[in-house]
Amino acid sequence: MTDLLVPLPIALPLAAAAILLIFAHVWSARAPDAIAIFVSLATAAVCGLLLPRAAQAPIAYWFGGWQPHHGLTLGIGFVIDQANALIALFIALLFSATFVFARGYMPEIGSHFQVLMLLMMTGMIGFCLTHDLFNMFVWFEVMSVAAFALTALRLEASALEGALNFTVVNGIGSYLMLAGIGLIYARAGALDFSAIARSVSKAGGDPVLTAAFCLVVIALLIKAAIVPFQFWLSDAHAVAPSPVSVIFSGAMVSVALYGAAKLYRQVFAGDPPVDFTMHHLMLGMGAASAVIGGLMCLWQRHLKRLLAFSTIAHIGIMLVGISLPSAAGTMGMMVYLFGHGLVKASAFMIAGILLATYGGVDEIGLRGLARPIWPAGIVLALAGLLLGGAPIGIMGEGASLIGSAASKPGDLWAFAAITFASALTGGAVLRAAGRIFLGLGRVPGDEALAPTEPEAERHRPFWPMFAPCAVLVAAALAGGGSVVRLVQHAAGSFVHPDAAGVLRGAASLARGDIGPLPPDLHPLVPWCGFALAIGLAAWDLSRQYLPHRLHESARMLAVPLRLTLDAAHNGIIGDYVTWMIAGLAVMAAVLALT
Amino acid sequence: MIALLPWLVAAWLLGIGLYGIVTSRNYIHLIGCLNVVQSATYVILLCVGYRWNAGPPIFDPHPPGTPAVDPVVQALVLTDIVIGATVAALLLALAVQLHKRKGTLDPEALRPMR
Repeated sequence: MTDLLVPLPIALPLAAAAILLIFAHVWSARAPDAIAIFVSLATAAVCGLLLPRAAQAPIAYWFGGWQPHHGLTLGIGFVIDQANALIALFIALLFSATFVFARGYMPEIGSHFQVLMLLMMTGMIGFCLTHDLFNMFVWFEVMSVAAFALTALRLEASALEGALNFTVVNGIGSYLMLAGIGLIYARAGALDFSAIARSVSKAGGDPVLTAAFCLVVIALLIKAAIVPFQFWLSDAHAVAPSPVSVIFSGAMVSVALYGAAKLYRQVFAGDPPVDFTMHHLMLGMGAASAVIGGLMCLWQRHLKRLLAFSTIAHIGIMLVGISLPSAAGTMGMMVYLFGHGLVKASAFMIAGILLATYGGVDEIGLRGLARPIWPAGIVLALAGLLLGGAPIGIMGEGASLIGSAASKPGDLWAFAAITFASALTGGAVLRAAGRIFLGLGRVPGDEALAPTEPEAERHRPFWPMFAPCAVLVAAALAGGGSVVRLVQHAAGSFVHPDAAGVLRGAASLARGDIGPLPPDLHPLVPWCGFALAIGLAAWDLSRQYLPHRLHESARMLAVPLRLTLDAAHNGIIGDYVTWMIAGLAVMAAVLALT
Repeated sequence: MIALLPWLVAAWLLGIGLYGIVTSRNYIHLIGCLNVVQSATYVILLCVGYRWNAGPPIFDPHPPGTPAVDPVVQALVLTDIVIGATVAALLLALAVQLHKRKGTLDPEALRPMR
């Protein structure tokens, strides 16, 4: 029974995408929406059935029955442990909500939207479940190519430009990954995670394997939009159709980071240069992403671009979680991934509602206009509170786990950086909610004119669009305790996979233990960051009442930093690739010198 | 020396391709450079699987067990070619659409919405 279920999470959406493409012109225009919702819910149900089985012992499945013999692995396997099953379930549920939200979106292009979305879902789930490095690359490409096409779906000039930058940067990333896979195969002679892990532990700091880690992990960090590889994200997320941005920010970037965590914990764990790079360089990159993303987020007025930078900040926080030596950090990252995905997805859905209802997402241009759809304002404000670090719900639990893992004296700076960054993004989202839905924060003069081109999405009724985002934000608020329990259970076998069990092809993996969790933070600590978020929003919204000179001098203080960061995010592909090469060189140097 | 040559070729292709992307003033040229970067991966993979004094991994006239090059990497290269073709086709389609709307393909003249 279990063996029948394992291939279904990828077989169902893949088959549905093909059938939709063949028959879409025969069926009525509503059929693709209904089929997509049904198939993603069915996929979620299969993942839900696999979850309790994987909780007993990880499920190893070899396609075509190619089980390993005498320590030689030829076949391609899926290994579904509890963490993989949870992530796959989360992806399928998020896609279901997005399909409901997107009902009636772009009927003029037939079923292409649903087909590409289903392919992207297949790619993401396959990427999470596979236990073979090259197979992981193939799923990574399925997910990426669908994402490239979806970004450009509206065929407007800005969407095409964003999609080109996205494709070129990520394309280079995937070729680096493939080169790394070649190096790994040259040294390990195998592509199965467990077989590679055995070679890594035998070779101990082998330079070829270390170089391969550098190339593969950089491809994943490019996808996850970590500084200095983050430039494509704001260009692509801001112009992609709203339902697509929901998936990009809610799942795609964090799933890539989950892949990096898996590569580190399950394949390269214990390799001295890799450990050093994770605990120092990656920690720094995570903190830098958090702060730079947070600052850029605060300075945006285009709501989707604002949310895109907030994603960079929160992905940086997740990278900090992975890079900390304590397994509690990795566990916190997984909890945070679910919480952030739900919250950010609902925030992007609100942006989509604004685009469909008012034909724009310029925060200042929309000031006070959206009062009639006040329920959306409540959801956006809740999203702002959660992003800002309010210690409630799933995000709050994840943040407190990452925080307690980072509360050792040497890592306190990283803790300060992530608290500051989430306050920045929360403040920005709260400010946007206050301005758009309450009409606060009147802006004088020519600043009020929108600098962005007019954009609109097809008008759809409000309540069907609003329902999924209300459900998502409610889940993010209420799910804290149960998600922590599930992830705590899952993190054990994620951090300490028993390679031998998988090799025997038997479902006999010992469940690891992540050891005692570090002590909780002082209960007042998270509220400090949260208070900063409220303060930042209040500062900008009340500026008409503040003395002009006070506000002006505060603004002038930030101008040099703002101009520097703005100049770096210039939209020129050559510059983005230069930053990428610089990042590659720094990481290679750190790996080579340790 | 001979054994080192393919690695040098791969590094050269990677470097020259990235240089082309960084300095490109035309998206079609840039897409070509991306394919050059990809060629580096073909060379790496083929070089990894090559065996001296071995035949192709086809055992029709030869008995199984005859020395042959590694068929796994050849399968990987085939997959790689398919992926490369998909990405290049998609990029070229995007470039054509962009040219229709903006009349130019210079990355410095075209900038995504900021």
